[in-house]
Amino acid sequence: MTWISKSTTFFGLVLLAHACYSAQEHSALQSFRTTSVVSPSSPGTTAVSLPIDISLETLVATAIICFGLALGTPPLRPIQWRVWAGKIEREGEEGFMNADGEVSRDYVGNPFKMLETRPGFVDIRRQRKEFAEWVRSSDERGEVQG
Amino acid sequence: MAPSLLHPPSHLSPAAALQLSQQAPFVLQSSPATVSSAPLTALFSASETPDLWLKYENLLLSCLRTGDEHAAHQCLDRLVARFGENNERVQALKGLVREADATNNADLEKILRDYDNILAENGTNIPVTKRRIALLRSMGRVPEAITMLVRFLGFSPTDPEAWSELADLYLSQGMYSQAIFALEEVLVMAPNAWNMHARLGEVQYMAASATGASDAESLKYLAEALKRFARSVELCDDYLRGYYGLKLVTTKLINYPPKPAVVKATDVDDFTVPTTPTVEKLNELATEKLSEIVRRYTAKERHWRGYDEAEIAAARELLAKDASQTEK
Repeated sequence: MTWISKSTTFFGLVLLAHACYSAQEHSALQSFRTTSVVSPSSPGTTAVSLPIDISLETLVATAIICFGLALGTPPLRPIQWRVWAGKIEREGEEGFMNADGEVSRDYVGNPFKMLETRPGFVDIRRQRKEFAEWVRSSDERGEVQG
Repeated sequence: MAPSLLHPPSHLSPAAALQLSQQAPFVLQSSPATVSSAPLTALFSASETPDLWLKYENLLLSCLRTGDEHAAHQCLDRLVARFGENNERVQALKGLVREADATNNADLEKILRDYDNILAENGTNIPVTKRRIALLRSMGRVPEAITMLVRFLGFSPTDPEAWSELADLYLSQGMYSQAIFALEEVLVMAPNAWNMHARLGEVQYMAASATGASDAESLKYLAEALKRFARSVELCDDYLRGYYGLKLVTTKLINYPPKPAVVKATDVDDFTVPTTPTVEKLNELATEKLSEIVRRYTAKERHWRGYDEAEIAAARELLAKDASQTEK
């Protein structure tokens, strides 16, 4: 979806640039006219007004840029607690990936999981033993398979 | 994909821990060993981020677990160089490394004495107190660990992690009512923790099924467990663990031999068992939800792949057992 938003924004920017350029050219032309046509009657009263098509183009360009930027926003996060929690349980890391397949930096999974894993009270000796057993059993399995 | 180094790794599977600790040489090489605070050097070197030290700490834990002592000591050295020997957290980490290196009981006793010495200087050193409790538990001296933890909670009563550890210690000794009390304290501090609601429900279910529980007592525990599981699924949509517990409890309540006479609640806190139709409806809901979760996970549907494989297998088994019972 991102290319749609990017191309829309780009199109809007081109329109805006074009409108700016037109306005600049228009005012240059206006001042050229006022200086070349020497009209002693009222030099100050000719209020330089922009043609309606340039103003319209500017407005439309701005609207298109806003639309394109809004299209490019990442999916909204749930704001209800149970929906958010359900998303964590149901989707895991997958639900919090951005377009590039990277898990977003502030994703922690269930933030209350530490109340059950309790890193401050970690029993490192048991963990080491379990890990050694896991290595041994996976070795055995590897030998059986191999 | 390797799990992030920014979160404590104690819950990871052995394979994930191995993956993390295999990253160690790369991480150690690519991150600065020391960060200078002199203004001139700070201009030219990488700036210091809190993430860096968190990374070292978590890497240290993973490496200790997988037995990569060399990398673990390197991480520790860097942390000591940054925060000094007397930092409370560093003291606890140093103790952790020594625990991992210890080969016999005499070593462990010595570490325990060193912890005592540190605590004699500063009795409110929280990380070291926690290490001492964990070491006592690891050495099998559970009653001592409980006593110490209770004393710890005396001066630091707002630590949900410690209350949760206390509940686990009590549970390992079969002291259900104490464990339930400790878990309720956890919920006071973390009222939205859906996994702790489910945990409390599980402990209450265990207490209800324990031998020696009288009928009235076990009915009360079951009613409480029902309430807790219902709260956990209220806090979290499609929570497998919550629905599993809800199904277990409601099945048990439906088949409960003495039909629960409507007991008037004497206390405001007491929770009476809902009427049989309500319980049956809850049971149906839990069955429906569980089978939906199992079906969609098995079909590998998008947005339904985050569950734990073992939990799904357990739910499938429960459903199969239930189906065979209704056929009879």
